Amino acid sequence: MPPLRYSGKLAAAPVTMPATLTPENRMTGPHPSWPEPRLTLQSQLEDLTLVWPWVEALAARYSVPAETQFAIQLCLEEALSNVIRHGYRGQANQSITVECAPSGVAELVFTVEDHAPPFDPVAAAPAATPASIQELEPGGQGIRLMRKFASRLTWQPLPHGNRLILAFALPPPAIS
Amino acid sequence: MQITTEEMPGGITRVALDGRMDIAGAAAIDLKMNIIAGSAKKLLIDLQKVEFLGSMGLRSIVIPARAVSSRGGKVVLFAPNEMVESVLKTAGIDTLIPVRHDLDAAIAVLG
Repeated sequence: MPPLRYSGKLAAAPVTMPATLTPENRMTGPHPSWPEPRLTLQSQLEDLTLVWPWVEALAARYSVPAETQFAIQLCLEEALSNVIRHGYRGQANQSITVECAPSGVAELVFTVEDHAPPFDPVAAAPAATPASIQELEPGGQGIRLMRKFASRLTWQPLPHGNRLILAFALPPPAIS
Repeated sequence: MQITTEEMPGGITRVALDGRMDIAGAAAIDLKMNIIAGSAKKLLIDLQKVEFLGSMGLRSIVIPARAVSSRGGKVVLFAPNEMVESVLKTAGIDTLIPVRHDLDAAIAVLG
């Protein structure tokens, strides 16, 4: 069943909201097991294939609309591939953790932590927009994509690494 | 991720992509895309059935498009869904590779 979508018309309808808005209120039905809130990856691009099913399970858990799930997948793929390719510079056997937690009922927040040299993608200038197809580089648009598709992007330095926080706004909980 | 090709009238090669253009999807099509781009002069990349486009998937479009263009060929992107088109626009791809939602308009770009 697709997640219920918020409509402005519903806001004016005489509906009863749950007394307490918890992440559980967002559930569309009973579920045998929820996904783990934390995913640990090794510094290899192949491990990015673990992200899709994890986000898919989280999306079901929190009734995330398809467009938001798309944005989460996009931003996590970008953030994690940047860490693997640029942060760890191809070093194998380094770890990256991604943790997911709801912030109230309005946001789903993903925290990416690594042990790579400091890099602030929030302050970094995005790659220049190419003037011709021949100048078009296959990568380099990741920072622009994350800024566009995440609702909030925050970088924090760690003593030996980086913490990138990506928040995604959720629509109001489904009304039953 | 699936890829199918069709030779259309006017020397147009239509490449239809189907699935998620994430890291796994990109890996599945890259070789074939590059082979097609090695000979196509007019390349129509059909994105109608692409559900997701990430940065790895963008590479799978950009590299072949650049190859075709470098040989004097033309490329058009056809019918991406709203989110996929938003990725293309944010990355600035749409200003360099035309995006069309009507097949006749896409063919006209290649004409």
